[in-house]
Order: sequence, then structure tokens, then C-alpha cells
Amino acid sequence: MGGVRTAGDLVLRMQLSHKMKINEAKKYVAEKLNVTLEELCDVVTMSEVREELGLGLGHVEPCAEANIGMEAKFRIAELLGIKINSVERFKERAGMK
Amino acid sequence: MQEKKYFTRMGDGSIVHMTEAEIREDMKAGMEDAVLRGKVEPLTDEEFEHLYNIITMPGTIVGVEPGMQIVTTSDSGSDKINTKCGIPVDRAVNAMIHERILGCDSVDIGYSDYNYKTVKGVAKREATILKHALNRTTMPLFYGAMPNLGFYTKPDGPVDNWAVLLPEGKIKESLAAQEEAVEHAVRDIVYVAEQMYDVGADGINLDTSGAAGDADFLVSLKATEAIKERFPDLNVEIGMAGEFVLGMHGKLKYDDVRLAGLYPHKQVKLAEKAGASIFGPVVNTNCNMTFPWNIARVCTFIKACTAVAEIPVHANTGMGVCGVPMCENLPADIVSRVDKALVEICKIDGL
Amino acid sequence: MSKELILKAAAESIIESDEDKALEALAQADAEGIDVVELLSEGYSAGMRELGDQFGRGEIFLPELIFSTEVMKVVTEKIEARMEGSDAPKKGVMVIGTVAGDVHDIGKGIVASLVKTNGIEVHDLGREVPAEVFVEKAIEYKADFVGSSALLTTTMTEQKKIEELLVKAGIRDKVKTLVGGAPVTKRWAEKIGADAYCEDATDAVNVILSWLND
Repeated sequence: MGGVRTAGDLVLRMQLSHKMKINEAKKYVAEKLNVTLEELCDVVTMSEVREELGLGLGHVEPCAEANIGMEAKFRIAELLGIKINSVERFKERAGMK
Repeated sequence: MQEKKYFTRMGDGSIVHMTEAEIREDMKAGMEDAVLRGKVEPLTDEEFEHLYNIITMPGTIVGVEPGMQIVTTSDSGSDKINTKCGIPVDRAVNAMIHERILGCDSVDIGYSDYNYKTVKGVAKREATILKHALNRTTMPLFYGAMPNLGFYTKPDGPVDNWAVLLPEGKIKESLAAQEEAVEHAVRDIVYVAEQMYDVGADGINLDTSGAAGDADFLVSLKATEAIKERFPDLNVEIGMAGEFVLGMHGKLKYDDVRLAGLYPHKQVKLAEKAGASIFGPVVNTNCNMTFPWNIARVCTFIKACTAVAEIPVHANTGMGVCGVPMCENLPADIVSRVDKALVEICKIDGL
Repeated sequence: MSKELILKAAAESIIESDEDKALEALAQADAEGIDVVELLSEGYSAGMRELGDQFGRGEIFLPELIFSTEVMKVVTEKIEARMEGSDAPKKGVMVIGTVAGDVHDIGKGIVASLVKTNGIEVHDLGREVPAEVFVEKAIEYKADFVGSSALLTTTMTEQKKIEELLVKAGIRDKVKTLVGGAPVTKRWAEKIGADAYCEDATDAVNVILSWLND
């Protein structure tokens, strides 16, 4: 689907955590992001959406808000309403839980 | 006027030109082979026509309609830039390349000696690499390797080699050796999974399951069950080695189902039962047959699998499987046709 | 009992791994004066070939194949004992192995088992066998057939090396070579100069039997 260029990583997270089939997973993520299925797979639309929400991008410009990697996954877990293992382990290591 | 011939390929990737009648004849034969072997339903007339159109569609690369794209998982993905291309890159960097340059939806970190028995000895070091990658990437990351039951036989491992015992007629001994190897392999996989869970892995990939026969598939099922019991948040993908489970043992069962001889539509039900999040079916590409023969056969098997699956199905479309030719440098014309057919006809959930 | 029924019973005895039935078919063939060579090739071996096909489709499994092999061995020995001094069917010697760098020995083992059941003397060299060893053993056992299996695109080049070394050793015209394995094709066999590409165990048996009958 294009991974962080679109929303492939988010859709895959729903397949993993809730064993959702592809159409259900895409619908779930699209609704959370308030985009259409066509937009969900579109690199231009999704680059803007991801940048606004801080969900991680395929390009890393020297911008003020770096939002790739762990910090993006914190937001993704919250947005999708799922637990992300690396986020949970990070919180433990950082003494946040 | 000479009859029009279409560009396509053999299963080994070599170019072949075929007429419409030849393509249709091969498609029919491939489909019928799958029906006979798997005892599954053939493609409908509509699906058959759609597949014919995909095979003969103009253009080198074909694709799906906007919005119909699907996700990808991989096996030994993060190591392929090193092992296949000879570019020495750290595996955490490899994962970032997959994410930010190749646009992958996920990738797995794997050791170059890609099996759980070997990884056991370096599991904590492997976990450190995964941890670094997890801190720096956004997409889901798996840890992947093969159960590879053959590595548990002498001289590489502790049990007698059943491939040697069987031709000698030592049936009982060969069955016992396989059963013993299963216990060793499950223990190793669960140990590795624990290390990966501790650093935050999104999933464990049990790749090429069933490579050494029914006992090998049993390992994946039992390991999945044990992983889900101990670490419910750790997801498991089971990817297969071949289209049917080879009966090297012949009597092994899981959930009261005999494993030997199972085809994808039955394998997936056991993967579900064991607790897997994703199932990766395989249909072998026959190098000596044409792409029309191979892809019609593939679609017949995979459609039957997705039709009954309740978990996402990610069809294996690497070298030599699911109609992709058996050659090192893959032709995009065929790979893109395989992908389109699998999405539109077989309704797969991922690749 | 008709000849047709006796041949059918012989084939079934192998498919069903039924030693008693196999021996009964042999006794009936004797009583009816049926040629035992025909009984072996059209009866028992036909059963073995059918089993090979069933194995290829995943309908039967290796231990069952081995059980049947044992029954096959019993009847073959009895028929051979009877044919001593007479014109025994032409047999051959085969060396077989998985090439260097390749550990995949399951398919090769199946080929070795099935060829053996058809009366060929088989020397299984195992897995990760260097090309030089194929040639050494072919000379040592006075082999008629050299079979090599490669499961990887990176190891199939070893099959070419075997061809070259057989030529170098001056025995290429004394042996027939068979190549197999997932990435191997008829095109590859022709390219490297192998005598035959075999898709599976049954195919290997058929190729060898056709050469023996030539």
C-alpha cells in the first residue's frame, strides 16, 4: 500500500492487532483519519494528513516537529485505539509506567 | 495473416509467445490440476475471463484501481539488501530503507543464517538490533526466521536424521526422531520470541513453515499457540514452504486434524486455531510450465484459501512461488500480473 | 483368474502395502504361467508408479511409501531368485546426491527410494556432495546413471560442474545424467548437457526405465 507514504503501516497494524481482513482494516483506518479509501492509498493526501497528525512520513525534512519512529508510534497507538508493543516497552524503559 | 501471439513467460522466467488458444488451454489445465489436487472449486467463468485479460493486458506493468491497494509483509526482508545485493548495510538502516525508500508496510529483521535454532544462541544480540530499528521506524517490525526442523538432525542437531532412517525402513525410529525434534524447535522459537517481545517486536514471522514436512508445520502451530499464551500482544505470521504439507511423518495431528497432505484452504484453519494473526499461503511455481498454467493454478488454490479464512491472508509472491518465476532477478511484467490477479480474483488481504 | 486381474491384484498389493496379497498374486501368476518379468513391470511396478503419483499429490505420505517399498522388496527378491540363470531384465547402477552447498535432501531421498524399488542399484551419496565426489563414486560403482538434485538457484550451477568433470574424467559417454530440483528445468538440462531433466521421482523412474528398454 505504500507504508508511511500512505497508510499501509496503519492498515497492517489493524490486521495484526485485530486480525481484520483488508477491507475492514482500511475502512477502520479511513474513518479514524476522516478520508476516503481512495485518499487512504494516495501518497499526496496521506503525506499531508500524516504530517498534520504527526504519524510518521517517508521523507524527513529538517522541520521543527520530527515525527518519525517512536514518537509517531505513540500517536498512532492513540489514534487507532490499539496497544503497540514497542511503545509499551519504551514506556517501561523510560519509567513512564 | 499470422495469428496474434502474446508475450508471456515460462515458470523459470524465460520468454515465450503464445496464442489465445494456447493461453486458454494452459489456464484450463492449470486450474484443473489445482481442482484435482486440492479438491477445491474451479474458478468461475467470469474469474477465468478476468484472469485471461490480466495475462494478456497491454503494458509491462499492470496494477489495481486506486483505492484497491493492499499491504505487504516480508520474510528475511531486512537482510536482502545485504545478502542478495551485497551492499553492507546495518539491519536497522535496512529497515529504514524499506520504510522510507521502498515504501513497505512492514519488514522483518532476520539473521543471515535464517533459522530459529541458530538465532537462539544470539537471540539477545538480535533483539538489540530489533530494538534499535523499532526506535527509529514507524511501521510494524517483525522478527523472522524459519523453524527449519531439518537443522535438528544429526550432524547439525541432536536427533537422528529421518530422511536417512526412512529409506532404511526404520519407520518407528524416524517417527520418534521427528516428534523429538518438534519439542526442541518449539522451545527454541518461544525462547527467541520472548527476547523479541521484551524489546517491543510487533510480531514474529514463522517463515517457510512445513519445509521439512508435517512435523515442521506442527512446530509452527505449537509455537504460535505457546507464544500467544505467554505474550498475547505479540502477533504471529505463519508463512508456508509449499502448497501442501509433505507427509514425512504422516500421522501428526493438530486440533485432531492430520497435517500431512493439507492444502492452503485447510492449513489456514489450523493457523487460525493456533492464534496466528496472518497466514501466508504458498503455491509452488512449476518452472517447466507457462505463466498462464501457473497463475490459473495459483488463483484456484488461493481463492479457496481466502474464501474460508477468517484471518488476513498474505500470499507469498517471492521467487518461485504463486506464479512468480524461479529466477534471481524477477520480471516486473509477471510479478505485477501475479499481484493484480491475487488481489482482484483471490481477494487476498496482503502480499 | 485372468492375467488382467492378476496384474491388477499385484498393483493393488503394493498400493495397499499388503504382503500376503502380493505373494498370492505371485502364486497365481505361477499357476497361470504368466511371465514374472511382466508381472513385475506391469503389476507391482505399476502399483509403485501409482503410489508415486499419489505421493506427488499429497494423498499418501512417506512412511506409507516406505511400507509399500518393503513389500516391493520382498516380491522383487523372490522374482529375482527365480530368474537366476535365465535372461534377467537389464538393470543398472545409479549414484545420486544433493549438490555441494545444498542441504535439501528430502526430494532426493524420495527419488532414491523409488528408483531402488524398480530394481536399480542405488548409491545415495547424501547431501552437500561435491561434484568431484559424484564423479569418483560413479567410477567406483561403475554407475550407469548419475542423478543430482539442486534446490537453490545458487547451487544448481554445481550440476554443470558435474557434467564438466564427467567429461574430464573420460566417462561422460558411459553414463546417463539426470538433473532435478525446484529451480531446474528442461531448458537448464539442455544448456548444461545433461541427458534428462526429471520433474519428480516418478518421472526419474520412467526416464531410467525407458533408457533400460532402449
